Amino acid sequence: MARSIWNGAVMLAGMAVPVKLFAATQPTTPRFRELHQKDGAPIEHRRVSTKTGREVPSEQIVLGYETGNGRYVVLSPDEVRAIEQPERKAIEIEAFVPAEQIDPIFYDRAYHVGAQKDGRDALAALLAALERTDLVGIGRVVLRSKEQLVALRAGDGVLNMSTMRFADELVAAEELDLPEPKRAPTQREVEMAEELLEGLHAEFDPSAYHDTYRERVDSYAKAKAKGKAPELPELEEPAEPEDLMAALQASLEAAPKRKRPSERRRGHAAAAKGSRRKARR
Amino acid sequence: MARPIWTGAVSFGLVNVPVALLAAARDLGVHFHQLDKRSKARIEVRRVCSKEGKPVDYDEIARGYDTGSDCVMLGDEELAALEPSKTKTIDVEAFVDLESIDPASFDHPYFLVPVGGEGAARAYRLLADVMHRKERVAIGRFVLRTREYLVALRVRDGVLSLSTMLFEDELRSPKDLGDARVTAKDKPSKQALTNATKLVKALTTDFDPSAYEDRHRKRVEELIAKKRKGGEIAAAPEPETPAPAPDLLAALRESLAAVQARS
Repeated sequence: MARSIWNGAVMLAGMAVPVKLFAATQPTTPRFRELHQKDGAPIEHRRVSTKTGREVPSEQIVLGYETGNGRYVVLSPDEVRAIEQPERKAIEIEAFVPAEQIDPIFYDRAYHVGAQKDGRDALAALLAALERTDLVGIGRVVLRSKEQLVALRAGDGVLNMSTMRFADELVAAEELDLPEPKRAPTQREVEMAEELLEGLHAEFDPSAYHDTYRERVDSYAKAKAKGKAPELPELEEPAEPEDLMAALQASLEAAPKRKRPSERRRGHAAAAKGSRRKARR
Repeated sequence: MARPIWTGAVSFGLVNVPVALLAAARDLGVHFHQLDKRSKARIEVRRVCSKEGKPVDYDEIARGYDTGSDCVMLGDEELAALEPSKTKTIDVEAFVDLESIDPASFDHPYFLVPVGGEGAARAYRLLADVMHRKERVAIGRFVLRTREYLVALRVRDGVLSLSTMLFEDELRSPKDLGDARVTAKDKPSKQALTNATKLVKALTTDFDPSAYEDRHRKRVEELIAKKRKGGEIAAAPEPETPAPAPDLLAALRESLAAVQARS
């Protein structure tokens, strides 16, 4: 059983619903470290002064805020602590919004919300109300000394909380200078691309996808440790399509006849298994 | 154009769309720098070879992979060549509906922009327009540096937006909550559900992302400004932690009355 990372209350118009927060994700840690290519020795990270190039011991290091022109406001350890926001153990809900209005791009880190002993009824009522109305609660909470904007939503029979990105932290599409084609795609090309899209339409099945690369690195490294590393292929740059129409035509001819989503899913799982077997060889 | 994080191609069927990957999120947080207490010189983290004791350039660094019994050195070329197609191509494996994806599985957001000439721009426009019209999300995989990513491609404002996604084994099951998990067995009373629904509805507005400002960022900036003017940064008092209501129905009634009185 997982351990909660935070205990507090969801505050809803003066009403407190006591809850516990749990991490909803468990990142798989990469097993890499940095080595010097030349001699295979581990790389150390040393903190050096940009002025003298010499290493500076940690008790000699302070934090500063750059005010421009290489000038800094230096903060004492007490001031650094004072900047950290005191934690009110509360998720303060400000509003509820229709779930479909929130683009998933706003969601950052995911948590599960569990009940404290004396809060089961209140949490059950809130969860059921959100499920029924398809609304998402928007609020704020201080986590790790930093106030976060969060969204509370029902999903998978549990109350989920996601920290959210602020609007100004997202790059707008208009900021990109997108090169547009001189000649727009033709009606026929659009129809063929649509057909291709429909042929690949499937239900999303997260269990069909595994990190097969991680497994491939593992088997290659083990073989290399025994001095039996296999020959590796050359990398090729993908080519720009010269004849879009011909590529679409060939894709449609190569594509299998349209399958129902359930059949396609089985196909995926089988393909994933196949490639894992190959990687182990 | 901002510097691309990766260049390669999106392929659907046999159509290749050469693209560059750009960050779609920026870090606006207030950052502090480490300084040498005496000279006030900036501190820099330098990579040093533990054997030679000398600084090492980033392109002289290889990856050490721990197999459990050995640490095997792998160069960037080897890592790329292990899955050459996935290192250079995001192969679209399926087109799915956005609602079928758990929002918790979205990780980092990026944009894809076409690179090259007319051919790339036309293939890009075709894919983006058709995906937009059919309201479909493309699911694919690719390898960046030392790991594989599951990605979802969507169209936002005419641009292909890419989100890396967590693999299923990186998402925890609600079952992990144990006793804290509220399930269908904890059915709320009819009265509590009715009141909670009324309360939630009474507080409903449209979602306007620009209405929420980063108050933490603002607070830190204000504290720094105060210090620059010769003021002091003092710790804020510890706030009170709210206590749960002893009577759920009474609390719901009171909250509802408070909200209705406001409007």
